Amino acid sequence: MLTEGESGPAADAAAQARMVKRRPPARRVLPNVEWVALAVALGLPLVLGDRTDLVTLATNILILSMLAISFELCWGLSGIMSFGQALFFGVAGYAIALVGRDLDFSDIWAVLPLAMLVGLGLSALFAAFLLLGRKTPTPIFVAFGTLTGSYAAERLVSGWQYVGAGNGLSSVKLLKLGQYEFVEGDAFYLLAFGLLLLVYLAARFLKRSQLGLVLAGMRQNEERLAFLGYRVQLFKAVVFSFAGLIAGLGGALYSYHQGFIGPGNMGPGLSTTAVVYCLLGGSGTLIGPIFGTALVETLSYVLSDVAAIRHIWPVILGLVLLAIVMFQPRGILGLFVSERERIGSYGRRQGR
Amino acid sequence: MGSDVALAFDLLAFTSVMVLIVLGLGVIASMMGIFNFAHGEFVLLGAYTVYLFESIGLSGWVGILAAPFVLALVGLVLERLIIRRFYATPIIAMLGTYAIGLAIRETVRALLGGHYVSIAEPLPGAFTVFGLDFSIWRTVIVVTTACVIVGTWLSLSRTSLGLQVRGALENPNLARACGISTRRLYAFTFAFGAALAGLAGALIVPLYQLSADIGTRFLVQAFLSVMLGGVGTFEGPVLGAAAVGGLTAGLPWVVIPVLADPLVFVIALVIVKLRPQGFITQGRF
Repeated sequence: MLTEGESGPAADAAAQARMVKRRPPARRVLPNVEWVALAVALGLPLVLGDRTDLVTLATNILILSMLAISFELCWGLSGIMSFGQALFFGVAGYAIALVGRDLDFSDIWAVLPLAMLVGLGLSALFAAFLLLGRKTPTPIFVAFGTLTGSYAAERLVSGWQYVGAGNGLSSVKLLKLGQYEFVEGDAFYLLAFGLLLLVYLAARFLKRSQLGLVLAGMRQNEERLAFLGYRVQLFKAVVFSFAGLIAGLGGALYSYHQGFIGPGNMGPGLSTTAVVYCLLGGSGTLIGPIFGTALVETLSYVLSDVAAIRHIWPVILGLVLLAIVMFQPRGILGLFVSERERIGSYGRRQGR
Repeated sequence: MGSDVALAFDLLAFTSVMVLIVLGLGVIASMMGIFNFAHGEFVLLGAYTVYLFESIGLSGWVGILAAPFVLALVGLVLERLIIRRFYATPIIAMLGTYAIGLAIRETVRALLGGHYVSIAEPLPGAFTVFGLDFSIWRTVIVVTTACVIVGTWLSLSRTSLGLQVRGALENPNLARACGISTRRLYAFTFAFGAALAGLAGALIVPLYQLSADIGTRFLVQAFLSVMLGGVGTFEGPVLGAAAVGGLTAGLPWVVIPVLADPLVFVIALVIVKLRPQGFITQGRF
């Protein structure tokens, strides 16, 4: 009887007191950052107006952000250190440039899916070779495999006459929608923005889905997850392939936007730049890499006008990366975002 | 017949360069388990030291002798300040050393003004054996490499310091418990690896012009060599470097050069995939 008495209203009150005493969840920062980023990206064409050089820069940032997100999916979400993300970016860029040159074709409804397919196919091949197999590969092997692939591709392309060798492919055919041709400017900006938004939402959905929960567990303790029966390497391969798809889309847009694609766009140089974007902005937050891309590209644009700094800009970039790796591995956004929010929460929210 | 011997000599000379570069990388990777992305820049700094000594009017020989010591000092300082924080996290170590390398490379590029600088061979010319000409400088490189390999192997297998190194490699915790300062050993190893890179850079700069990218062109091959040979052994990286160096120099004679370059990487990667532990299994230094 006593026990029954305790489970009455008195116990409810006690439970409620506990609920009140429990620390309220930390204020969420990331949604605010995301809304601000959305507002800035939408407002930018209006503010910039006829400064076409700045619109071009902003478009470039949006396109490179896809590369950054592609790397973020590998490193921030699934813990694969990829030093070759630019490979998928560059190869897709070459593919659509060749389709434009040899087949005289650049209709948007076909070339962008083609680029994504190229990125997906190539990265799936790499994933199958590097990640899958009877023996679990070491992270070092995967890192070197991607680095080597990127390096080898750059060397191959820069010696191959058919694809323009060291000069790359210039005057890439313009991207077409019906009769309309996308040139640099507001229209291309909006196109890149729309596609980036789609990519971002897809990545956000992936991060918060049940697959994302598995990935979060994998980052914590891969071995334990494997003991629970998850085929860890398969999950990694799936995410890696999806990241390749996004990089491919970015590469195609880059190629159309610049009107040029060269061996340097698939080499370790651009691949490691993607690493810098991601780590500087804050890996694991998804919006961080976009922030990092905008920061790095804007700074390098501004500083390229200052002759004294132009030459040492890469040195500064290297030192910044070193400082981040040593002292602030969570990047700039990591200063504001709690660890719990960075990892993400997957249970049912309280108060619903 | 004559051209075959000449080709074999070229192969040997290039392989020696690879071995010299890979040895330092392999020693560091074996001991601390980190892959030093700044190794190419250590090579570059070795070459740059020679250039500096020549530009203030000293003979190239002084620069070549000084380069290993300069780089040992650089390596020691970097290890104490930065590298030792990365021992627990090999992937982060890649990023950290990459950042160091980037900073060094771009600094040197700015100092050189983006130019290529030719450094004359300290011993120019060739000598003739059985009617065949051999470049003297390449011979010096081959002989030096052989000496370095033998010297390193002897000091690892015959001296008490070598015993400590092998002990720390086998079981770092037990080595520490026995009173071996692994901290000092790691600093020493890193400085030694950097010194080898400096020596390599000083020796190869007359063959390739001095530019900021002189080290990075070998870096990916060097990494593959270490993985191919097996981390944690002495012979492994040397064998791996010999294999990769031989392939790099030999393949262009078999297939068209455009394909030869990437093919080396593909072959090496496939072998590593099939045999992740490397040619030589870990545990025997």
